[in-house]
Amino acid sequence: MKTYKQPSTVGRFGEFGGMYVSETLMPLLLNLDKSYKKIQKDKKFKIELNDLFKNYVGRPSSLHHAKNLSKYINGPKVYLKRDELNHTGAHKINNCLGQILLAKKMGKTRIIAETGAGQHGVATATVCALFGLPCYIYMGSKDIERQKPNVFRMKLLGATIIPVESGSKSLKDAMNEALRDWIKNVRDTFYIIGSTAGPHPYPKMVRDFQSVIGKEAREQILKVEKKLPDYLIACVGGGSNAMGLFYPFLNDKNVKIIGVEAAGRGAKTEETAATMTSGTPGILHGSYSYVLQDNDGQIKEAHSISAGLDYPGVGPEHSYLKDIKRVKYFGVTDKEALKAFQTCSKLEGIIPALEPSHALAYLIKAFKNKHKNKVVILNMCGRGDKDLFTAAKAIGFDADE
Amino acid sequence: MQMNNLDSLPKKKILSLFMTCGFPTLNQSKKIFNEMLSHQPDIIEFGLPFSDPMADGPIIQEANKLALRSKLSTQQSLDLIKYLSKSKNNTSFVIMCYLNTVRKFGLNKFIKNIKSIVDGIIIVDLPFEEEGEIKKSLSKNNIHLIKLISPMTDKKRSQKLLKDSKGFIYYISATGITGSNRLDYKEINKNVKSIKKICSVPVLVGFGIKSRKDVINITKKTKADGVIIGSALIQKYFDLKMDFNRYLKNLKKFIIEVKV
Repeated sequence: MKTYKQPSTVGRFGEFGGMYVSETLMPLLLNLDKSYKKIQKDKKFKIELNDLFKNYVGRPSSLHHAKNLSKYINGPKVYLKRDELNHTGAHKINNCLGQILLAKKMGKTRIIAETGAGQHGVATATVCALFGLPCYIYMGSKDIERQKPNVFRMKLLGATIIPVESGSKSLKDAMNEALRDWIKNVRDTFYIIGSTAGPHPYPKMVRDFQSVIGKEAREQILKVEKKLPDYLIACVGGGSNAMGLFYPFLNDKNVKIIGVEAAGRGAKTEETAATMTSGTPGILHGSYSYVLQDNDGQIKEAHSISAGLDYPGVGPEHSYLKDIKRVKYFGVTDKEALKAFQTCSKLEGIIPALEPSHALAYLIKAFKNKHKNKVVILNMCGRGDKDLFTAAKAIGFDADE
Repeated sequence: MQMNNLDSLPKKKILSLFMTCGFPTLNQSKKIFNEMLSHQPDIIEFGLPFSDPMADGPIIQEANKLALRSKLSTQQSLDLIKYLSKSKNNTSFVIMCYLNTVRKFGLNKFIKNIKSIVDGIIIVDLPFEEEGEIKKSLSKNNIHLIKLISPMTDKKRSQKLLKDSKGFIYYISATGITGSNRLDYKEINKNVKSIKKICSVPVLVGFGIKSRKDVINITKKTKADGVIIGSALIQKYFDLKMDFNRYLKNLKKFIIEVKV
């Protein structure tokens, strides 16, 4: 296999990606791209970021051998990359620290972000508190309802939350509104996008900042297993935790990689968020990638019990990795994810977020009594505290059936 | 090759009116466009509704939502434009849309539908960097790809962007989304002048023009060749609590007012 080298200088992952935005944003994105290229060569930036990773976030996150879960599956040896132990409880903080340092370097004085599950919102509010910058978080009103603990956390951290009432009132619409804010306030505002989605350079930049996950996991597994893993598994909404884990392994052709999407009530139903299983290539939020759309290219509303995966698009790099068959993508339903959420809690004493519960569900389903002697790393990208109310309600409903 | 109305725009005080296709319903939309056409504006811009119009403000977004409520298809919008072209006369027809709409419909099929009917097209989220093939196909069929210039576009970029531009230049007056409320005439004039140094096609100012007074100010205080009015035309519908008959009468009055 050729060495993996994506994206191109204009932000193309194969045919996917690009910059599909209006001329009001184009000069900003080009400027952002230039600034990002510059700081990549800046040693001081690297030192500052690594120090924050270590002392503020608590990196490296551990690689936990989940013995009970492995025994239950009766298949491979399962390791959990525990990014849920990070400060703020998810992987999102890695990217936010990188972007806010960049924002400071660019002299920006106001931060905006979109959030679905609230994890990215919390992480953004956190870094804004740390660096003393005003923070505005766009969040769909439907998500505000189902992620109340995170809404309170963001408020405590000093952020202003702007409820979004348009469209499906979730992540997609929050991103539309954040982009509108940015167009209006181009001069002083930095938009911290939380996923590997959106126009170039975001998909690349977010991936790079998140790839600390994969770099650590690689070192850690080589130390304990003296070999690379046989499988990587991560959940994919926009795809940032997955890209973070996958990226440093893309050249290792013996490492099989699996992305798990939220299929909601089923990938073949209308109530799904499984973009790559059920979608077709199209343009959303400035990037060409798989999207859920109708015959006229109108974007459909996504559905997932997990607010973090409830997005009708996906990062362009995932679309590319799917098409070149480097990564395989599968869908997991709300129901399956909820079951895995409980199984993992009981067996490992780790309450996962609903997002990685999708990855867990796939692992339990597809690896049961199979792939013995193999080694799997699963990205435990967030903890379940924020989902307790949603899960309780859903599980209660199941118990009634 | 057939004539393109945009090539014979007047030298001054060009008026372009924007309206979303299928808003508020397909039938009512026909009546709105007929009313607009009866005033013979220099340009009519037909907005093709899109579910995620990220470069538009809340008013046009709402218009898109209403139009899409009855599952308006791209074909229906294009058929509407074709129907209206019978009474087109000297008015230039311009389509304003998002790239996903054209892509999904198919570029060639799209062009086939609008050829000899539509004079220009603005694809809001198609930046200069990505336009290659699309511009070529449009140009072969005598349809001008209209360029947007924002206050953030610097001189070097403008020069690249405006090379061989045709039709008119859409200057985005406020660093903002359509329908925002700041108009800085000094800045507009400065930027319009620098665009005019680069290219010879008319420069129209859009975004945030709401009244006869705004139109007169643009004419008097800047070197712009005309204005584009969009959100303000649609806003009236919501101001009048969606009473369509009153809206139609009000629209007529408003168009007469802004024809300066």
